[in-house]
Amino acid sequence: MNPLTLNHYLLASGLLFSLGFAGVMLRRNIITIFMCLELMLNAANLSLVAFSRFHVGMDGLPNYNAQVLVFFIITVAAAEVAVGLAIIVALYRARQTTHVEDIQSLKF
Amino acid sequence: MFAPITLEILVLALGFILLLAESFSNSTSKRSLAKIAIFCLGWVFAFSFFVESAPAHPEPGSFWNFYSADTVSMVFKRIALLTTIIVLVMALEYEAVLAKNIPSARTGAGTGEFFILPLFTCTGLMLLASAMDLVMAFAALELVTISFYVLVAYMRGSHTSLEAGVKYLILGALSTGFFVYGITWIFGLTGETHFAKIALKLAALQGSDTAILFALVLVLVGLGFKVAAVPFQSWVPDVYQGAPTPVTAFLSVGSKAAGFLLLLRVLEPFLGVAALSSKILLVLTVLAGATLIFGNLAALPQNNLKRLLAYSSVGHAGYLLMAIACVGVAPSALGSVGSTVGFYLFAYLLMTLLSFLILTIASQHTKGEEIQHFNGLSRRSPFLAFGLLVAMSSLAGVPLTAGFYGKFLVFAQAVNAHQWTLLALGTVTVGAGFYFYLRVVAAMYWAEPTDSSPIHVSGLSKFVIALLVTGIFVFGVNPKPVLAALQSSPAPLAATAH
Repeated sequence: MNPLTLNHYLLASGLLFSLGFAGVMLRRNIITIFMCLELMLNAANLSLVAFSRFHVGMDGLPNYNAQVLVFFIITVAAAEVAVGLAIIVALYRARQTTHVEDIQSLKF
Repeated sequence: MFAPITLEILVLALGFILLLAESFSNSTSKRSLAKIAIFCLGWVFAFSFFVESAPAHPEPGSFWNFYSADTVSMVFKRIALLTTIIVLVMALEYEAVLAKNIPSARTGAGTGEFFILPLFTCTGLMLLASAMDLVMAFAALELVTISFYVLVAYMRGSHTSLEAGVKYLILGALSTGFFVYGITWIFGLTGETHFAKIALKLAALQGSDTAILFALVLVLVGLGFKVAAVPFQSWVPDVYQGAPTPVTAFLSVGSKAAGFLLLLRVLEPFLGVAALSSKILLVLTVLAGATLIFGNLAALPQNNLKRLLAYSSVGHAGYLLMAIACVGVAPSALGSVGSTVGFYLFAYLLMTLLSFLILTIASQHTKGEEIQHFNGLSRRSPFLAFGLLVAMSSLAGVPLTAGFYGKFLVFAQAVNAHQWTLLALGTVTVGAGFYFYLRVVAAMYWAEPTDSSPIHVSGLSKFVIALLVTGIFVFGVNPKPVLAALQSSPAPLAATAH
């Protein structure tokens, strides 16, 4: 059996990213759209960790800069979810809906 | 002398102290919070002229590898501080509308954070101005974006504000997703997150042009949303119209300045790759052309002044992109583009904040933001009408205003770079701009008012309006001080490369 290479990880992360993007474009429920957005961020995390693991430096250790960035992305995503869900809850209280079709009072 | 980071720490500390003070105070009026914030930010602004500069050759691993304090960053920090101060003045004027649209037991409760959150946005903008590393730039950009999510959706009782908030949330998070994925690929190609080191690695990289372009396109999509470039502008009119007016002003100046600065910093390493620079410039030219045409033509039929200013903001992003697309292939050319973009953003700050400040004050008395509501404003308040006249002329680019000199610099750049297509597009769209900006002026001066009661303007707002009008004329006639502040930058990237 072949060992896993960088390409396998990148393929998986590319798939996650595309799935997330497709979800944002196609789904109509704001909560689902929001989950798809998180999927896109996690795709970036996956490929960052993979890049870090395969960028071995002179001393034989992985390049940890990318893994630090992953922690930043996780933190930012958490903050974004906290604020985002609060806004969606406020919207639901005011309009009793979380569907994209129902929030088009501002003209395009 | 103090380290430049003191400025960010001061603003952040002020934000936390005011948040605590707000939660422990019993007073129903939150106006004093904004006044304290304006006063303290004024001091921080003055303080920014007395900080020491960054060392030319920082030690490896030291803080200066993430953070620079060259002259361009300092100018952008001052732009951020100035914008925040004026936005807070606007927020004071807007307080009555805000209190009406927030459901609470006591009127005025729950408005406190509206005056405090801009401080955190300001911290993010200032950190972004200094960021020399993708990790730092990302964290700062998200501090700006997330505090904007809250501010845009702040009026919980208003359907339009909530709707704008949700739209901004979804598209902002989408742009973050693209930006982060782009950063990932940049790291994967170079193994670095520092801008100067990325430039070195990219220049040495052979035979992976497609991967480099892929990374750059992802980052450009992410930043395209932030600066409102066509085809990523669809959120702009809705969000600008729905958000509270001070926040709209903050978005159109602060968010745009941050996006363009980051765009310049990210593009610099990529333009150093000789095999790719012509392709990158082609992409930028197409983006600039599309943004110019869409922003200016879509503004023509608008009747809502706030929406008109939103399209105008897209149009001005087009002129800024035009300046960037005219960067030469030589790496030193980015310096002059940096000062053009810096000056244009400064002029844009003056005229956009002036129009939004007057819009905030006048629309409460005219009970609407349509252009017809401004009919005969010159008879109700000659002072406000004159201010808006100056702002609109400067936005359109009438000579002797700062807006004209900004456009002049951009067009001069285009002539030097032989970008004739963009130059022609720019000239045509300026013509279109004259039509829709001066339509507002015509309504104010030549139409009859439906209600002729005079409009009262508070002393603080009068002072700020007078200051902005003076600024537009002074820097339109003599732009040297700003240009000098932007140009004396001793090539920060080259110095920190090793």
